[in-house]
This record gives sequence, structure tokens and C-alpha cells, in this order.
Amino acid sequence: MLAFRAYSWFLSRRLGLALLTLWGLASLVFLMIKLMPGDEAQMAAGADASAAQIEAVRERLGLDAPVIMQYFSFLGRLLRGDLGTSIVTLQPVLADLEKVLPSTLELVFIAMLLNLAVAIPAGIVAAYRQGGVFDATSRITAVMLGGMPAFWLALVLQYVLGSVWRVVPISGQQSYGMASPIVTGAPTLDALMALNFGAFFDALHHIILPAAVLAALFATQIFRTLRASLLGVLRSDFIMAVRAKGATARHMLVRHALPNSLNPVLTLSGTQAGAMIGSAVLVETVFARQGIGAYMFNAVAQKDAFAVLGSVMFIGTVVCLVNLVVDILQLLVDPRIRAAQLGSQGQ
Amino acid sequence: MKTVHPLPDAASVVPVRQPLISVDKLTVDMPLGRSGSSVRIVDGVDFTIGVGERVALVGESGSGKSLTARALMRLDRLAKLSGRVDFDGTDLLKLSDRDMGKLRGSSIAMVFQDPMSFLDPLMTIGDQVAETLRIRGIGKAEARKRALAVLDELGVDRAAERLDAYPHEFSGGMRQRVVLAMALVGEPRLLIADEPTTALDVRVQDQVLDLLDDVSTRRGLAVLFITHDLGVVAGFAERVMVMYSGRIVEDGEVASVFAKPSHPYTQGLIKAVPRIDQDLNTLYAIPGAPPPPLARPSGCPFHPRCDQRFDRCGVDLPALQPVGMSRVACHLLDGKGA
Ligand SMILES: Nc1ncnc2c1ncn2[C@@H]1O[C@H](COP(=O)(O)OP(=O)(O)OP(=O)(O)O)[C@@H](O)[C@H]1O
Ligand code: SF4
Ligand SMILES: [Mg+2]
Repeated sequence: MLAFRAYSWFLSRRLGLALLTLWGLASLVFLMIKLMPGDEAQMAAGADASAAQIEAVRERLGLDAPVIMQYFSFLGRLLRGDLGTSIVTLQPVLADLEKVLPSTLELVFIAMLLNLAVAIPAGIVAAYRQGGVFDATSRITAVMLGGMPAFWLALVLQYVLGSVWRVVPISGQQSYGMASPIVTGAPTLDALMALNFGAFFDALHHIILPAAVLAALFATQIFRTLRASLLGVLRSDFIMAVRAKGATARHMLVRHALPNSLNPVLTLSGTQAGAMIGSAVLVETVFARQGIGAYMFNAVAQKDAFAVLGSVMFIGTVVCLVNLVVDILQLLVDPRIRAAQLGSQGQ
Repeated sequence: MKTVHPLPDAASVVPVRQPLISVDKLTVDMPLGRSGSSVRIVDGVDFTIGVGERVALVGESGSGKSLTARALMRLDRLAKLSGRVDFDGTDLLKLSDRDMGKLRGSSIAMVFQDPMSFLDPLMTIGDQVAETLRIRGIGKAEARKRALAVLDELGVDRAAERLDAYPHEFSGGMRQRVVLAMALVGEPRLLIADEPTTALDVRVQDQVLDLLDDVSTRRGLAVLFITHDLGVVAGFAERVMVMYSGRIVEDGEVASVFAKPSHPYTQGLIKAVPRIDQDLNTLYAIPGAPPPPLARPSGCPFHPRCDQRFDRCGVDLPALQPVGMSRVACHLLDGKGA
């Protein structure tokens, strides 16, 4: 019971912090709207709105009121989930995002899994056999991938795997006629929920290349961070003590060295989750996928200010949530952090 | 300050023991950075430890005591070893990694200097002690039961309640008991203790020493005890080996070595032990410092610091030779000195 209270106190502190961060982000977004050149009512109403329409929008958004009042009503609208209206789709931005976000989250989720599934084992082997062949080749690969422009990697893979070898589709998220009833909006998940395995594998087939490109962009960082962290841990005394107990290399690495090297990797993957949604802009555009990336890309191209800012707000929320999850994971891994954050009751 | 135990009298009788581990011409080379070249840290060491025997290994910092000890268990992944280490009739240096792993913890175990840094901060005490057994496929409940029994035996209070506590929740002395329990739970026949009390305060040092004394007597456990503290040697060990610059220079019964040290280096070490009745101004220290392994002097490596050196010393390396019940590596004992 004490532990439960310690955890809920920790969670409420962290949630409070996340809300503060979002408030800061919202204020920044508000400032950006105010600083944008041009008439805000005109922007909100769209380029070819009539004068009467513009005035109606000006009235509705209260743009004649003092800035401070506008700020509060902006926050009020945000709290009600009103992110403004897209001048392109003429739909509320929130409704648009609900349509495109699941597909992006699915892409980012699979990319993150691929990222970790490749970078973590590679980091472990490279650190354990420091200076060996695998270490050398994987470090060179990491440098090359890290220095490669993302769109170029995407285009090359798309060309080689999609057009020349034809092992994966070059674009889209499912084959024609393969769509399952939309429940979540994420094609693989919807197919799975409809128990349509053909559609599931079809959607997976479509997502694998874009997810791999996205993963490749981030895996190099995870690899380098884990390798460096592990090298430090492998030199520490308790690793020798574990070996002195007769542990196999595998046991030592998995049960001791890895958990002790994980902290910086967790922190990094939290930041990466946000950055991945950002990079989805590019990947979704290249691979002609629906998603927040493609949505933002169009919004920027068409100067759809509220759609852009609404997306920013949404991504910010996701990043805050991911960081909350990272905080909790770190707590679960390290009893010392638990003691510091939860007090002695948390133990 | 260190505790000063009285030095024992000479002439206790040496029981002949069954050898447990015999080390022959052991060398340890460590790589120098990434250059591919290496430096010889331990330079041809021979010794035997009998079943249940307690042997101390002393010498100044950097003489290669820890690397020698770790070589017996092949613990340094980077070290290149040569020579023989016979344990129970098998040469450990020839075993596969897998077979060596099976011996670690169950036949030879080790406790280390700083109990905090030698415990995994993320794993509970109970799991870390039981791990030695779990690795060998012993069931969870059974391993935990035996871990608890050892922790109890070593006087960890409220051990049952604290199995699920983490290292940071223990005091230094309790942590060293945990580390000792980790080493003993696999019922090894040889325990290597690398300065197990140096990081502890004096009172706790004595407790841990008593404990070690107790356990090794009760279990018939052989102990290789590395220390800087000659007082501890006198109180704990039956035999002492003195190491200088990667070689053993003197090896004999504690009582006789302390009563009549043969090697000038041993003489210097003993002379440097502070006595309770001593005037602080007369404290002795061997002049100079031990040579770095890369700049080992020619001939007898001790000759630049030796007050009894003569012409041969800078040229010929003295071999470790039997002298009475001891072994000594010094040209003086060839009778050609002075
Ligand atoms: N990993 C390593 N790589 C290269 N040289 C090393 C390594 N570890 C130790 N050495 C060197 O080997 C020599 C002997 O080290 P060792 O730790 O065995 O000495 P020691 O007698 O145990 O000293 P101390 O009393 O300080 O513990 C030292 O000169 C040290 O610098
Ligand atoms: S061999 Fe010579 S230098 Fe070395 S200890 Fe003996 S007397 Fe001193
Ligand atoms: Mg040492």
C-alpha cells in the first residue's frame, strides 16, 4: 500500500511536469501564430475566402480582443480539443489528425522495434568483442548510415528493393482491395482485428521498407550509445565478480552488463520517439503513405497554419507521454533511482 | 592506522599437505593500448597451495599480486597467460572457456577489495548470492535457501528479511559479508581474497578477518590472501609469499620468514612495519619506488633499491631457490656475496 502511494505520488508529479511542458509548448505555438506575417483571420479562413467570411472568422476567434484575452481563449480552445480548422480539408484539425495519426504511430512503433532489435544486439556484440571484426564493420556501417541523407537512403532502397528486385511494394500502405474495416486507422492492426491475415501480411509487407528506413536513421545512435555505455560497464568490477561466479558470457551480458548500460539508451529512445514522428514527414512522403508526416507536409506546402500548429501540439503530447513511459521504465530498472524518486516506501 | 598484530615466534612445525593448486612458470602479459604489443606484468611465478592451506601474498602496489590471482581463474579477458596452473590434476590454462567457467565459483572463488563496486547495483542481494548456484542449474527455491544459510552463517543480521534488499541498502561490513557469501555458496576449495579488508574500517576489518578465519577452518578451505598489511599476514596465514616486480622473491612459513627474513626486500618490508612503541621519527621506508613493468631493471629487479647489492646483482637475474624450509631469489644466498 505504501509502495502504491509512493508510485501514485511519483506519477502525479511526472504528469504535472508533462502538463507544464505542454503548456509551454502551447504558449510557443500561440506566439508563433501571432508572429506569423499576414492577417490571422485571413490565414484561418483560407486564401480565397470572401471578406465577409474573413470577418466571421475574426469574430469567432475573437481576434479583436486584447492579446492576453486571445491567449486565454486559445488555451481554452486547446483544452476542449479545438486545434482550429484546416483550410485545406475544411475539417477540424483534430478530426484530421485522428484519421492520419494511427498510421504514423504504427509506422513509428514498428520502426522503433526494428531500431532496437537491430541496434541493441549489435551494440552488445560490438562492445563485448571490442576491436574485433564485427565491432569494426558495424562501426563503419553506423558512420556511413549516420552520414547518409535520409531521403537518399529512402530513395535508394525504394529503387533497389522496390523497383529492381521487386521484393517489397514501393509505396502505399496496402494493396488495392485489401482494406479492412477501419477501427483504429492503423492498417496492420485493423487487419488483425478483422482476423484477415492476408490483409495483415499485405499491410506488413507495405510497412516494412519505410519502417526500415526510419529505423536505420535512428539505429546508429542507439548502437553507438549502447556500445559506449556497455564498454564502461564491462570494465567495472562487478562484471569481473559475475565472471568469477562462473557465469557464461551470455548470462553476464544479458543479466548484468545490459541492464546496467540501459539508462542512456532508454533516455535516448525517448527522445528518438519524438524525432521519429518528425522524420515520418519524409518517409511518408517518399513512400506515399498516409500519416501525420504526409499531412504536415501538405499543410506546410499549402500554408495551412492551424494544421501545422495542431500537428506540432499533437506530436508534443506524444513526446511527453513517451518520456513519461521512459521515466517509469528507468524506475523499474534501477532500485537506486526508485529509492531517490519514491523514498524508502517504494522499495 | 592499521592494526599491528604481534609477530609470531619462529620454528612452528610445517605439516606436509596434499597440493591443491600448483602454479608453474606462470606469466601474464597485458596488451598496451591498441598497439598490439604487450607488457609482461607477471614474469614466471611458481608456487603451490596445499589443501586447506592459508597463504598470504604480499608486496608493494603494482607488483602484480592481483593479476597473478586473477590469472589462476583466468578472469582478465585481455590477459595473455602462459605456464601451467594445475588444479586437482588439470591444467586450467588448457581448459575451454566453458569448462573454466564451470570451475569458477564452484572450485575456485574470489572475493575482492571494494565490496560495493563488486556487487551489481541492480540485483538483490539474495539473487546475487544465489546466482552462483542458479548458473549451475540449481532450482530457485533451493538456491535461495542455500544463499540464506550462507548469509546466516556469515552473520548477516536479519538475512531472511534482507534477501530482497539491494546493495546500496547495506553497510560496508555487511556488503563484504555478502561478497564473501557469494564466494562461499558454491563450496569452493580455494578462495582467493584480494585485499578483502582494505576498504573497510579497522573494527570491521577485524570482524571480517575473524569470519574468514572461522570459515576456512570449518570448511577446510584453502585461502590465497592478498594484502599490504603484514600484521594481517601474521594473524591469518601459515605461509607468506613476497612478490616484487612480477616475481616471487621469498616464500616460506610466516613464523620463520618474519623471524629471519632472507631477502633484502622482505627485510625492508618487515623493517617498515610500524611498532606500537616506535618513535615516529624512526619510521623506516624502503628507499625509491618499485619499477614500472615497462622499465624493469636488468639483473635482480630490486637492485637499484637494495642496500646489500653487489656487482652480480645488476647483471644476473637470481632464481627462486630452496633455502632451508623457504625459497628465496637473491644472489646473497649463493654465498658469493660480500
Ligand atoms: N588491465 C591492465 N592492463 C595493463 N596493465 C595493467 C592492467 N591491470 C594492471 N596492470 C598493471 O600491472 C601491474 C600490476 O598490477 P596489479 O593490479 O596486479 O598489482 P597489485 O600488486 O595487485 O597492486 P595493488 O597492491 O595496488 O593492488 C601494474 O603496474 C598495473 O599498472
Ligand atoms: S640479488 Fe642482489 S640486489 Fe637483488 S636482493 Fe639480493 S643482494 Fe639485493
Ligand atoms: Mg591489487
